[in-house]
Amino acid sequence: MTTTSTGAPNAAPMRRWLPLVSLLMLAVVLIALPQLLNPFWTGRVTSWIPLAIVALGLNLLTGYNGQISVGHGALFGVGAYATALIINDWKWPYLAAIVASAVICFVAGIFVGLPALRIKGLYLALVTLAVATLFPQIIEQFSDTTGGSTGLGITAKELNSRGVLTDRSIRFTAPEWSGQADDQWRYYLFLIVAVVCFLLVRNLVHSRAGRSIIAIRDNEVAAEVSGVNVAAAKVFTFAISAALAGVGGALFALYNTRVSSGSFTLLLSLNILVAVVIGGTPSIIGPAIGAVFLNVFTDVITPELPENVKSITPLILGALLVVLMLVAPGGIVGLYRQVSAWLVSRRATAPDPIPPTP
Amino acid sequence: MTSNRTLRLAAVAAALALLVTACGRDNKSATKDTTATTAADGSSDTTAAAAKAFINPDEDCTNYDGTKGITGDTIKIGTVRPESGPYSIYDTVTKGLAAYVGAINAKGGVKAGDGKTYKLELVKADDGYDPAKTPGEVQRLVEQEGIFAMVGEIGTSNNLAVRQYMNDNCVPSIGLATGSTEWGKAAQYPWFIGGLPSYATEGYAFMEWLKTNKPDAKIALLYQDDDYGKAYQDIIKKEIKGTKITVVDEQSFNPLTETSPESKVAQLSGSGADVFFVGIGGTPCPTAIRTIPDSWKPLTYVSITCSGKTAMSLTQGHDEGLYSTQATLDVGTTADQANPKVQDFFKEGAAQGLDQGTLEGGIAAAGWGFGALFVKGLELTPKVDRATLMNTLFSMKDVNFGLMLDDAKVNTDGSKDPWVLEDLKVIKRAGGQWTEAAPLVSYDGKSNGFADVK
Repeated sequence: MTTTSTGAPNAAPMRRWLPLVSLLMLAVVLIALPQLLNPFWTGRVTSWIPLAIVALGLNLLTGYNGQISVGHGALFGVGAYATALIINDWKWPYLAAIVASAVICFVAGIFVGLPALRIKGLYLALVTLAVATLFPQIIEQFSDTTGGSTGLGITAKELNSRGVLTDRSIRFTAPEWSGQADDQWRYYLFLIVAVVCFLLVRNLVHSRAGRSIIAIRDNEVAAEVSGVNVAAAKVFTFAISAALAGVGGALFALYNTRVSSGSFTLLLSLNILVAVVIGGTPSIIGPAIGAVFLNVFTDVITPELPENVKSITPLILGALLVVLMLVAPGGIVGLYRQVSAWLVSRRATAPDPIPPTP
Repeated sequence: MTSNRTLRLAAVAAALALLVTACGRDNKSATKDTTATTAADGSSDTTAAAAKAFINPDEDCTNYDGTKGITGDTIKIGTVRPESGPYSIYDTVTKGLAAYVGAINAKGGVKAGDGKTYKLELVKADDGYDPAKTPGEVQRLVEQEGIFAMVGEIGTSNNLAVRQYMNDNCVPSIGLATGSTEWGKAAQYPWFIGGLPSYATEGYAFMEWLKTNKPDAKIALLYQDDDYGKAYQDIIKKEIKGTKITVVDEQSFNPLTETSPESKVAQLSGSGADVFFVGIGGTPCPTAIRTIPDSWKPLTYVSITCSGKTAMSLTQGHDEGLYSTQATLDVGTTADQANPKVQDFFKEGAAQGLDQGTLEGGIAAAGWGFGALFVKGLELTPKVDRATLMNTLFSMKDVNFGLMLDDAKVNTDGSKDPWVLEDLKVIKRAGGQWTEAAPLVSYDGKSNGFADVK
């Protein structure tokens, strides 16, 4: 995912193998994780994947296209509720529900993206902020369908030993041939969905359409003059970004087998933005790194903190963010780029004129 | 060139994936084997009892581990409560529970029905009263901490958020710190047993009182916008049918998005109602009572969850003449304080570090009671495992535990009557004390009927 196509014929060999080795190591780690971790931690790592996907979507919108959205939590929520309702009411298979959620959010993205043509920068941030704030309230308004703040379980009816029809949470049962436990199976399914999303975005960014998207970010007028259909490209980017949020939301709902309004507050939208910023933008792998960083903080570090410090964890995270932004304004990926550039420049005698574009 | 490289990488990744598939997780398969053996061992001596028992883990559970959380002579239990936020008032429930656990251990442990003496270990988690956070915390307690059971978990929505998970994993949750009518669905969710009276039964008891004492009442209803508050709404609307009592106005209060019910109270005060039913919890409850405008003088009823001395003192002197319902001794009332059970609670609670204000506040006493229910179950159960314990709790006969009123009794029967506290009396606040407004009534076996739960 971080493979670079520098095209410079006499680039130092370091330049070529560093990303390759990193990618290979990443693949090994991702595949080996559920084998090394116990079911609890495999589950926790699985639960990080949805945030990575929605952050990927926001990064496409903000990092590559220059549109700001503070409302991706709401789109994430739409995907989650779509999945919950589709599985509960229509009994669709999981994969179909994920795809349907993506489509629904794609359409929702068009509706949010259209006004974004007229509203820019800070104003767009404010409008999307309103969407994020309103979303949980809308869910509670329709609590008969959505379960409101109590939530809605994603279940299937099963007869128990007392002859009573019981709602059972949906399960990911690993097929016999895989030799995997259920939690491992679920991890690999989520991972595959994530990898597909990341590859699709990578290909999109490197395509003609991707170049238009980036051109708009860099200079909208210049892009228009060069023949880019700015309106169409912007709405399209918003829709794709929303669709990714939908996929993330769908996985979130499938993981928790439950959705409730409290999961989709403004805080979620901010967390998505934070994941993008921590990871570094624009970058394909950045949002995933940011999501992992954020989740490691909440799931791994926070429970280990002493009792009296726990209440100020948001403060600690805030301080960490400030430090990170001072040390590495380009996020973690930016830091990696700096370090690898420094490594390369130490090896290569001649400085490379073209900066790497992961 | 790039695509070639990607392809090569994909191939390597695929090879790795295959390798992983071939290996599998060793320890996982090992665990599966042991579970199978335990189940097989256990079934031999339980089959006779299982024919009649309410829960049969062999049929109800896929990965049943009945004695998980018991190490040597220590039973590990878990609880989830809001340690922070506007509902942190409930943290005191957990302090009461922790004090009970401490007191039991100080006495050398609990002598269980199997003849062995066990010590208890309590692990606490914080969800901030946010049901979106509860599943993660409970998962951590069950899977990572390896608890035997949850005890005294707080919040209707919070418990609902994990009910399926607990059911799927066959982990008991005992003495739920909520009286939602949902806990009557033991036939579907046999691993949950409530620690408070059903809100429907509570509402019914008050409505019965109202029918005789104020037959033409005009009710203004303030209810929490979740299953807890809606249980009151349902029972009131059901009980006014065929009477002259009317609900003239109702307002919902959302505990997660709203901070003060003041504006709702102001609105209700203009409704012309002469009865004000306060069906909300936490600190917003006393706030609602405090903010009743002087111009409005309704007969006010407060939820049982809000009737302790702590909540009453938060009304800042506006508690005179309030009505509520009682199922347990009121530790804040002088008459009840003379009761030996309350005396014990004061003595042992103080030894565990609870100050007098907390002891008399009523909230800690609730937590004390949830612990007592769990321990009562342990004392009665012939075998200490998850299913037998639940079956014991669901087949209690004339039991009295913790701080229950002396003449109140617990009778439970699986799916027909899963409610523990069903003997209630309506009480009235006078001179900073709760006094009896109507004698104790037993609604044994009726709680599910009040809420139309089958």
